[in-house]
Amino acid sequence: DSFNIAVGDGAGGTQEALGKAFIAALEETTDHTASLFLNGQLGDEQATVNDLSIGTLDFSILAINNITPFSPSVGTLTLPYVILSLEDAITVTQGPIGQEMVENTVRDAGVRIIGWAYSGFRVLTNSARPVKTVADLEGLVIRVPPNEIMIATYKAWGVNPTPMAWSETFTGLQQKVVDGQDNPYITVYAMKFDEVQTYITNLRYLFSIEPLVVSEAVFQGLSSEDQAAVLAAGKSATDFSVQFLRNEEETIKAELVSRGMEISDPADNEAEFIKLATEAVWPQFYEPIGGVEKLNDVLTALGRDPVN
Amino acid sequence: MENEIVTILFGSFLGLLVLGAPITVALGVSSLISFLYLGDNPIKFVQIAFTSVGSFPLMALPAFILAGALMEAAGISKRLINVAESMAGPFTGGLSAATVMGCLFFGAISGSGPATTAAVGMLMIPAMIKRGYDRGYASAVTASAGGLGIVIPPSIPMVIFGIAALGMMAPAEAVEKYGTFQTVSISKLFIAGFIPAFVIAGSLLIMNWIMCKRHGYTGNSDGWSARNILCELYRGFWSLMAPVVILGGIYSGFFTPTEAAIVAIFYTLFVGIFIYRELNFETMNRALETTTWLSGRVLLILFTATVFGRLLVENQIPAIIADGMLSLTDSIYVIWALIIFFLLFVGMFMETLAAILILVPVMLPVAYNMGIDPVHFGVVMICTLGIGFQTPPLGENLFIASGISNISIENISVRALPFAAINTTAIFIIAFFPELSLWLPRMFGY
Amino acid sequence: MTSFWNALNNIESYICRALLVMFVALLFTQIISREVFDHSFSWIEELSVYMFVWFVFFGASYAAKMSAHNRVTFQFGMLPRGWIKWIEGFADLFWIFFNIYFVYLAYDFVFNKMNKFWKSQTLGIEMKWIYMVLPIAFTLMTIRILQVNYLKLVKDVDVRDPDKIDLDDFKSDKDA
Ligand code: NA
Ligand code: NA
Repeated sequence: DSFNIAVGDGAGGTQEALGKAFIAALEETTDHTASLFLNGQLGDEQATVNDLSIGTLDFSILAINNITPFSPSVGTLTLPYVILSLEDAITVTQGPIGQEMVENTVRDAGVRIIGWAYSGFRVLTNSARPVKTVADLEGLVIRVPPNEIMIATYKAWGVNPTPMAWSETFTGLQQKVVDGQDNPYITVYAMKFDEVQTYITNLRYLFSIEPLVVSEAVFQGLSSEDQAAVLAAGKSATDFSVQFLRNEEETIKAELVSRGMEISDPADNEAEFIKLATEAVWPQFYEPIGGVEKLNDVLTALGRDPVN
Repeated sequence: MENEIVTILFGSFLGLLVLGAPITVALGVSSLISFLYLGDNPIKFVQIAFTSVGSFPLMALPAFILAGALMEAAGISKRLINVAESMAGPFTGGLSAATVMGCLFFGAISGSGPATTAAVGMLMIPAMIKRGYDRGYASAVTASAGGLGIVIPPSIPMVIFGIAALGMMAPAEAVEKYGTFQTVSISKLFIAGFIPAFVIAGSLLIMNWIMCKRHGYTGNSDGWSARNILCELYRGFWSLMAPVVILGGIYSGFFTPTEAAIVAIFYTLFVGIFIYRELNFETMNRALETTTWLSGRVLLILFTATVFGRLLVENQIPAIIADGMLSLTDSIYVIWALIIFFLLFVGMFMETLAAILILVPVMLPVAYNMGIDPVHFGVVMICTLGIGFQTPPLGENLFIASGISNISIENISVRALPFAAINTTAIFIIAFFPELSLWLPRMFGY
Repeated sequence: MTSFWNALNNIESYICRALLVMFVALLFTQIISREVFDHSFSWIEELSVYMFVWFVFFGASYAAKMSAHNRVTFQFGMLPRGWIKWIEGFADLFWIFFNIYFVYLAYDFVFNKMNKFWKSQTLGIEMKWIYMVLPIAFTLMTIRILQVNYLKLVKDVDVRDPDKIDLDDFKSDKDA
């Protein structure tokens, strides 16, 4: 068969790289093939989840926070400062906790996660001044997507963020309707934000994870050999994504600096940011993610102290 | 498979149009038939209905319609046109030249072609007739200049083009060949339309001068008076500030286009209630009601056109059409000519916004594959569809001008032919010289 | 009693005007609050977009009641006036079938197919309630199509596109 894969982002990003790697592996081991439809041509990311669950779409690659509304336990991965490195992200998504999330989304949303793309931390960019401490943030107007966890995090840092549609963000930054925004390095580069932003802060509050999901109805319609082949193709695409992020992020950082951007790390290894965000934000979301235990499972798996 | 589905989709679409079904129904039913034929589940329609309409930038559409309706009711339009008349009135063909300029001024606060024709025509057509102009000529010049309303920003068709083009990035082959393309944004389109609007207005003024020379329409007898101009400028101060508030707000970065329309609404309320005192509860209520059905009708087409477009995309049809067109010729000038004449033809029969929604998914990929800048393409598309307002059988500006002057549509459309011809020439110039559209946005740093 | 029927007969218009005033006011509040007080309300964008969607679909039903949905009609130029309304009435049968099928799909989606956990991002409202506009507005629209055709075909009332009625306003303005 020829499958359709909905992709939220445009060409050149992590999502497309994951999709291409998946198709290559799929074509190698089965007689199936698939085409990517970039830029949300098959609908916005949340809409594709319903389409997958009904079975009118085969695959979708989307940001994890667009799965959370359909399968809340996945939300643990979107809490600030749960994941502190790429290695943490790999441990969580590819270990037993990731497996439990796969089962939960099959049960809750009728979609199966078969691969993970890693886009890196959402770093903060702005056009006003270098930001190294929470105090430096004061007075900056920061654009955020309409996402309650991100809004709550900025509020914990004493900033009132401005929700703005993605389609208006570039112009908004250029015209200084807003001073800054946060996104992974790959996105900052692809969107040419260096043309309108000067300073980057390596915040680690959110690690962007973009799973590849298949419609459970479509998956169950495959023969068991094909099911195994699809899962294997997802796994090899995931491995490719890890390599892709490592290579790209370093190249992009160097390129952005050569274009005049100034990159800084938060003071004191980000301790103040972490303290404010985790103390204020985590408790607000225990209930939606299914209890504080879910968070503690993840923290324990990462070798960190659980909260009570 | 592709051929069959193209036949079914376009065949049932055209068949329903000929039967007299509303455009939105023709789009929806032909898509539904194709979905069922392909064995796809049409339950997708439900989410598309919601997500196609549920976008923040799209709210600029009702906001600009409401702002335009309120400005009319508040007396802002009337005073703008008086300023234009005081400037151009005394010259040969002066009153009709003032009509063209009035459309340019009014276009800077209104986003709609027919609204521009109505606002300017109600004042200027009777004035021209009184001054001895032929009724048909007076109507023709107004109907032709009314199209400027959508070329000069703000423009509702540009909002719709921006929305339709936003989700369509350049295909990878085109990027490989021509490098990256700039992204489309509504603000960028607004600025890009500025110079082309003046090119078109200039072409209309030249044709008007020639025609008036021939007919012997002289300027008004009062003569040109600086005092009179200053006087009208003074009276029209608050009206002249309206475009400054709208466009200045967008370009200086205080607001997005949607917000600029919202600010325009409150500016108009302020001027209309406290300064001109011409707005009352009834006129405001009427403006709200007009906005309701106008938005409902256009945006229902947005839903069905999105379904239609989704079918095209899933079956890779735009790419096939693009390949077909590109196999005919590789001359960009021939492609432009094909595009412009096709749009002129479509503009004869179809409502502008519906035409944009249906054609952008099909034609923009062709443009990308020729290396045409998407913003430039949008400007040419909108200028060309603007001529459709003055061409029968469906010419909204013709209907309005005919309603005001009591002259038959046939008569007006024949008299409007020279204007359509020179307007088309101006569009070819705009198409062949991309810098006319792209220079200004770049100067503004976009 | 007549005023009750009158209100019911224009129900979409009332709903839409109220929604329009509300979302325009909300957006203005957001602009003022941001520019003057450096404070943005995170929920305004989402709420105003949802109000806008409701406004659009009720507005589409109101446009159906006003017979305002654009048709291509030049091909009828040669036909006698009396025939045209019957041909258009026939074409409207497709519209009615489409709407009935769409209402069924929308009902099925909202009550059976859509994900039960799905809530809006900043308001936390269940999306089910927001999507309810689709079955409701398309049912209303179907009633309006039947109403207009009843008036045109049975009662012989001249229900005209409001674009054309506008012309009469202009004429009377000019005569005045
Ligand atoms: Na305009
Ligand atoms: Na036309």
